[in-house]
Amino acid sequence: MIEELLKIKEELLGDIKKLTNLKELNEVRIKAFGKAGAISNLSKGMRDVAPEDRPKFGALINIARSEIERELELKNKEFEEAELNKRLQEEKVDITEPSKACEIGALHPISDVIDRLTDICVDMGFSVVEGPEIESDYYNFEAMNIPKNHPSRDMQDTFFITDEILLRSQTSAVQAREMEKRKPPFKIVCPGKTYRNDSDATHSPIFNQLEGLVVDENISMADLKSMLTILMKRLYGEDTKIRFRPSFFPFTEPSIEVDVSCPNCHGKGCNICKGSGMLELLGAGVVNPKVLEMSGIDSKKYRGFAFGFGLDRTAMILNSIGNIRSLYRNDKRFLEQMR
Amino acid sequence: MKVTYNWLREFVDVNASPEDIASRLTSAGMEVEEIIYQNAHLHDVVVGRILKIEKHPQADKLVVCQVDIGKEITQIITAATNVFEGALVPVSLPGADLANGIKIQKAKMRGVESCGMFCSGEELGIDENYFEGAGVNGILILPSDMVPGTPIDKALKLDDVIFDVNITPNRADCMSVIGLAREVCALYGVPMRKVNLSYDIDVYAKDTVRDYVNVNVTTPNCQRYMASAITNVKIERSPLWMRARLNAVGIKPINTMVDITNYVLIEMGQPLHAFDQELIAGSQINVRQAKLDESITALNHNTYNLDDSIMVIADSEKPMVIAGVIGGTNSCINDNTKKCVLESAVFDLKSIRLTSRKIGVRTDSSARYSKGVNVANAELGMARALHLVSKIGCGKVVRGSIDIASVKNEARKITVSVNLINQILGLQIPSNDMLRILNNLGIESTIAGDRITCIIPPYREDLENDYDIAEEVIRLYGYAAYDNVNYELFQNSAVTEGHHHPRLLMERKFRNALVEHGFFENVSYTLVPSDMADRLLIEDGDIRNNLIRIANPISEDISCMRTSLAQSLFTNIAYNLSVGNKNLRMFECGRIYLTDKLPLDKLPTEKNMIALATCEEGFDFFNMKGILEGLLEKTSLSYQLERSKEPYLHPGISADIIADNKKIGSFGQIHPSVAKNYGLPNNVIYAEIDDDYLASLPTKKIVAKAISKYPIVERDLAVVVDESVTAQEMLDAIKSACGNLYYSSEIFDIYRSDAIGENKKSMAFNVKLSDMNKTLTDEEVNKIMQKILKAFTYKFGAVLR
Repeated sequence: MIEELLKIKEELLGDIKKLTNLKELNEVRIKAFGKAGAISNLSKGMRDVAPEDRPKFGALINIARSEIERELELKNKEFEEAELNKRLQEEKVDITEPSKACEIGALHPISDVIDRLTDICVDMGFSVVEGPEIESDYYNFEAMNIPKNHPSRDMQDTFFITDEILLRSQTSAVQAREMEKRKPPFKIVCPGKTYRNDSDATHSPIFNQLEGLVVDENISMADLKSMLTILMKRLYGEDTKIRFRPSFFPFTEPSIEVDVSCPNCHGKGCNICKGSGMLELLGAGVVNPKVLEMSGIDSKKYRGFAFGFGLDRTAMILNSIGNIRSLYRNDKRFLEQMR
Repeated sequence: MKVTYNWLREFVDVNASPEDIASRLTSAGMEVEEIIYQNAHLHDVVVGRILKIEKHPQADKLVVCQVDIGKEITQIITAATNVFEGALVPVSLPGADLANGIKIQKAKMRGVESCGMFCSGEELGIDENYFEGAGVNGILILPSDMVPGTPIDKALKLDDVIFDVNITPNRADCMSVIGLAREVCALYGVPMRKVNLSYDIDVYAKDTVRDYVNVNVTTPNCQRYMASAITNVKIERSPLWMRARLNAVGIKPINTMVDITNYVLIEMGQPLHAFDQELIAGSQINVRQAKLDESITALNHNTYNLDDSIMVIADSEKPMVIAGVIGGTNSCINDNTKKCVLESAVFDLKSIRLTSRKIGVRTDSSARYSKGVNVANAELGMARALHLVSKIGCGKVVRGSIDIASVKNEARKITVSVNLINQILGLQIPSNDMLRILNNLGIESTIAGDRITCIIPPYREDLENDYDIAEEVIRLYGYAAYDNVNYELFQNSAVTEGHHHPRLLMERKFRNALVEHGFFENVSYTLVPSDMADRLLIEDGDIRNNLIRIANPISEDISCMRTSLAQSLFTNIAYNLSVGNKNLRMFECGRIYLTDKLPLDKLPTEKNMIALATCEEGFDFFNMKGILEGLLEKTSLSYQLERSKEPYLHPGISADIIADNKKIGSFGQIHPSVAKNYGLPNNVIYAEIDDDYLASLPTKKIVAKAISKYPIVERDLAVVVDESVTAQEMLDAIKSACGNLYYSSEIFDIYRSDAIGENKKSMAFNVKLSDMNKTLTDEEVNKIMQKILKAFTYKFGAVLR
């Protein structure tokens, strides 16, 4: 019996070595452990063994059983792995086929610019405010040191509703409103729509500006320089430089234009900056003490600086937009590019 | 304004190139927008003398000319018929590149060589007013005293360089050659050359100005009126040097007297007017406000009806000039003028601005008066004009002059602080540099300790305080001083806390969420056509019917402030469809402008709205509802829906969002008639929410509830009910039937068919139950479901499917 047991074991182990797939493996498993399987039969043959040999014979069967099971398990693992590998090889997609993702939209470039700029300004201690677009002559002009029938009114073509009510021609109109409301020190920025009776290839009658105003003791033109440098660097990149040029605004004194190194060519000169390497982007200056006084702020004690710039132009530069009209046409083919 | 390099150099003694002067002016705030070289297209054009003219052997209409061009004799073929032997003509030689685009090369014409071309006045860019013969149809025949070989730009005085300078409104004093010359002198640190104001007077003559004119000023709008008289006037072509300068700055030369007034206007910034003395009725000049029934025919040949807001220069009978703006034909200089009265006046800028705007006439004169001419300037202008009369010899200056001034303007003294100027600028400019700069600008300044005392010349009315002086200092010191400033931000001032605008912050959340939902943000013109309300079927009595209209619109399309974002989004959707864009999901966050009273007597309400519009296959009312629910979930808003009465929405497929018993938004399918008005299909879905209302709500506070550790049990239930039963009623019934075992419930199917019956619908619900303390048994769950069914049957007459 023992010889037979060993023979069967060797035969089964030999079969296992030759196995090539899971189906054959299952056949061998049945051949060994099925109801009529070889090992099962041997167990049944126990009663033919002499009682004193039975423990030894039983132990041998158990050894053979576990040895065969172990070999079968190893083979099984081998086949499963092979099967998985085969599946992974076969299951392959063309990654260039179109996606099934849900289409996402996009923010308008102007509001994206407003978000970016207000974030930077809030970091620097500015609070974001808003003001009316339909404004009184007083806040838009007179409180900004632009009296009626004054030559500086010629700088802007204004849309009027009545003699005293107009569409604000500059976000500077919020300056006096905020100065009346607040006590220095304060820093505010105001994004918003502005209107001028001017429409051509480069001017839209409705456009957006960002106005900034700081009022505190000891404010200087050098603060303005530092503040705008940080703002422009964070908007256009670390290597951005700014330059001051004299200008005139009735509400600032001294008044300056601020040139910013062209973010496209980094100052080397290109078609965007018309070869100059610089872009004229902002108007700014030290707040005219007359403006402070008109809004009830003691100009002996406090000084301020103010700046304002066009957000349409900023959005156009940041996104290489060629035509100001496309900002307001809301063509999906344009908006899709703003994702 | 335009000035020329040579004109400036008459007053400035510097040897600097036009480019250098331009760049310094720009750096000091007088932006030179363009430098124009008059002779840019006149190189290789010289004076030539035609020595001999012969017939062209091969062509009847051409002649072959031998031409002395100074250093040689060259051969030129021409078809011109007005040339003759001995004539002096402009000759463009090979290499010339004329303003009209013609480039000259040696060429053979019908086998005979031609080494250039004769030029007409037009080809040289000049006309008859500028140079005699320049207007003829043919070659410009030059005066016989010109020398062959002379470059034509020299011969015709077309060799100046023109600066087009942008003068800011605060510097009216720089709207003149003399004003800019002062700046140039300050920029180069050189004193200004003296302006020649001398003129000859016949000291033996008995007549004085009073024999020719008397002046009476009765309006406060005239601050100064000077009058002089000139006899023996010669009205003829003014000398070439004068014509050259006027021509260079774009003024047409006319005759001696008119040219002198224009010359002084440009040079000294002083408008002048010359009258024919014999046409001044009663030899009386009255400076007064016009009367209502008066009118005048002006030099532009238009007739203007006057009123008492308009100041005129009148004689004893009639208005002769609209003061400061334009002269009349009834008294102007003409070819027969023998005696002339010259006016040099200063008028109130507001009066001139109003008149100029009222009658719609803008002249070089009104442009200067409405920016402000200094009272002291009248004298300078008058003296310079009389000097020019003397110099040209076009008249005899009569002794004496009338000068009536109601306003005095003298040098003012102000004191400023060196320290404050440096604090304003944030720089450390030495006081000596400040002194030098101010004195160079003609502001006589002296220093004592921290104080600089400045004597402000009358023409610098813009300078009043330390800030103004700080600007003068820095603009001449150079803003380059800031290029390398390393200044720590707000180093001497307080720290302030920055805050986002609460509404903008909330709006940003919405905008980002909508982008995730596939929406594109629109920014539209807030100005809309005046038929906006009609197109949206908005009726009388609705506040949105009160469109605020611009008094001076650019066009009808953008003439009114919008009262609904529907106008903007419907227009945008229609535009997108028209260019072939499909699957449109648009939104806009923007203002509408509402007033209950027109015309406006106070500022209107500007309301911030969020609006959405879609036009997409398969996107319906309920898709929009889902998107809105998602958005509103981000706020603390509690709201109900009611059927909407928005005129532009489909009455059956629209809802209002109600909170606090107020409509705060609405949404639905576009009304078919509105769709037609905008050229839209019927499947446009629109929604709008009052952004200001949402921003006014408290921030959403999240209170997390405990969740059961036992599993949720769910059951489905389908019933048939009448159409009139709403989904909300049924969901509410489920909730109350479940009691505290309720977790959630939703409708997963709504089905209608003939089998179910007319006006019936099948509704399928999914109910989720949960108990905090145990796993629910089938028995407990079934009991609840029975309860729900009972409620459905009892309340809504529902039948189990």
